[in-house]
Amino acid sequence: MIQQIARKEFSDVVRDGRFRWCSILVGALLLISLGHGWVQARESQQEHAAAQATAREHWESQGEKNPHSAAHYGIYAFKPRLALSFVDEGVDPYTGTSVWLEAHRQNDFLLRPAQDQTAAQRIGALTAADVLQHLVPLLIILLTFGALATERERGTLRQLLATGIGRRELALGKALGIAGALALLLVPAALVGSAALVVGSPGPAASPLARGGVLAGIYLAYFAAFLALSLAVSAWARSARTALVVLLGAWVVNGLVAPRAAVDLSKWLHPTPSAVEFARTIESEMASGVDGISRPDRTAVTERLLTRYGVERVEDLPVNEVGVYLQESEEFGNQIFDRNYGALWDTFERQGLVHETLAVVAPLLAVRALSMGLAGTDVEQHRHFAVAAESYRRDLMRRMNGDLAENSRTGEVYLAGPELWEETPPLQYAAPTLGWVLGNRILSLLVLGTWLVGTILAAAARVRRTEVG
Amino acid sequence: MDTPDPRRAAELGNGRKPLLEARGLSKNYGATQALDSLDLAIAPGEVYCLLGPNGAGKTTTINLFLGFLAPTSGQALVAGLDVSTHDRETKQRIAYIPEQVMLYRNLSGLENLEYFAALSGRESLSPERLADILVEAGLERSAVRHRVSAYSKGMRQKVGIAIAIAKEADALLLDEPTSGLDPQASNEFSELIERLKDRGVGVLMATHDLFRAKETGTRVGIMRYGRLVTEMGTDEIGHADLERIYLEHMHD
Repeated sequence: MIQQIARKEFSDVVRDGRFRWCSILVGALLLISLGHGWVQARESQQEHAAAQATAREHWESQGEKNPHSAAHYGIYAFKPRLALSFVDEGVDPYTGTSVWLEAHRQNDFLLRPAQDQTAAQRIGALTAADVLQHLVPLLIILLTFGALATERERGTLRQLLATGIGRRELALGKALGIAGALALLLVPAALVGSAALVVGSPGPAASPLARGGVLAGIYLAYFAAFLALSLAVSAWARSARTALVVLLGAWVVNGLVAPRAAVDLSKWLHPTPSAVEFARTIESEMASGVDGISRPDRTAVTERLLTRYGVERVEDLPVNEVGVYLQESEEFGNQIFDRNYGALWDTFERQGLVHETLAVVAPLLAVRALSMGLAGTDVEQHRHFAVAAESYRRDLMRRMNGDLAENSRTGEVYLAGPELWEETPPLQYAAPTLGWVLGNRILSLLVLGTWLVGTILAAAARVRRTEVG
Repeated sequence: MDTPDPRRAAELGNGRKPLLEARGLSKNYGATQALDSLDLAIAPGEVYCLLGPNGAGKTTTINLFLGFLAPTSGQALVAGLDVSTHDRETKQRIAYIPEQVMLYRNLSGLENLEYFAALSGRESLSPERLADILVEAGLERSAVRHRVSAYSKGMRQKVGIAIAIAKEADALLLDEPTSGLDPQASNEFSELIERLKDRGVGVLMATHDLFRAKETGTRVGIMRYGRLVTEMGTDEIGHADLERIYLEHMHD
């Protein structure tokens, strides 16, 4: 019987011209956004690879140069785009994907596409994640709001239930029929997405297909929760119109109000300094130190070295005092950077926690966090790369200053050769594993799971009490 | 005229076990008593017509037999099974035709019948057999494949009868089935009920139509304010008697 109901619901949906056009529109947008995202990701990946190779080539072809000059010459590091980033570009357009690694400074990220976009471009930029998070739930609402309410309004519910089918069987059949119609839209998109994962170069992330599978599961759970919620409201509402109004209200809260409120609330609870304030603080602390972190004293460094090596003149030191001092200065700077960037990242993390917690009123926030996480484009993975890049920068500075200290004497002109540049390994970045990503998103997983179970239970309870009219 | 007695009703149905039985069946909506201790028994091959004004409790009785309402007290039984505890089993044995048979307008009469028959557990019936059932129920063969949106009320009622025939239900619940039908359509409807009665189907029909009740029914019960105030066999009285008795009870 469930099969009969599902089949009829499916053919009703497919036959209905209004829904057919809506489905075609959403399906086309999904496929276009997937295709566009894939092309963009591929181009960006190729550009990054080319730029990274050029930067390395420039590094290695510096010729003879003082290592400290080479440290100032610096090198670019590019955050690799993971395979699934074509589905959800996350915060990348706002945080940037490349960083200039040089002596004395932990720089901000560059290449922020959002900076170059006009307002119109921002509105028009529709990613596959946007379609999946906003438009597919809207389509589910349009397909489901009348599932039980319309049957009751037109009097067919009495006759259906008089045949001997149970209310839950009826609701389940309808849910399966609508899910079948949605599958016509989502299965081709999933196939295109899978093909893009297989064909596209997957980047450094382990198991892109496993990530894709989990991402598909997350979106299915989200859609199932919307379907169950829509059925519950359809069973509860006195009329189909009431059901539609209530569900559209829920959609607006979920997709428009809650994300905006989450941003404002998280900023209010955990404020972050402006870019100018942040730079000014670092500049001030670098100049005069802070909280027991003090700038190394050149004279004290010299005295210490003279004592350690038992000589009286810096020229007699077995190391170049300048190299030692420069490294100590780097380490002083590193403490300032760790202190300020660490606090900033921690604030971002607390803001993220507010977003994830607010998912109890809007599942979109949980899905968005999980989607960005699996695509490798969330704040946490930006931090993961930034930390790796900064660690590489520090290692690079240590090598340059170490070479200067160990291979030259104070006061002499020293030039290192290409061997040093070539010996310096390129940045080898390993993106976080799937387990790391999911471990960071346990709260979102729990909230989404609760939404799914809660809406199914609500639908079951409401359907059981549906009045026949 | 008799005091309502379910055992007597069973005797009138040739002593066979009642298909539909109400035992002290009551339904309250807050302080309002919609049905008050109804006792009723309808045997196979019996057509029991419930008469009474709007709000007398006729539709409430039908809704209680369908399990759409839970009784405040008492029992509604179908073939000896309590509707409250055997929802599926009891619904499988009954068919229901409301005042307005509501069908899916974008489907043909045949497609509607296929769907409802399948939900009633008769998915094995072929389209040809279902088309024959629609014709048997009085629908023109040429109309069988037309969309229901083009059907008159009488045609929709016939599809309702066809659903009941296809279901091979033991008992039929009819709620004002001839309301709004023209005399010819009402007459055809009565003939169909007659045929189902001859097959041993037990029928409970709520109606305002005294003439149709006398013509079609084997017994008639008159309800007022949720109570069955009297009942009688239709062979015991004439049309004029029924009208007089009905009006007497309405003016008490």
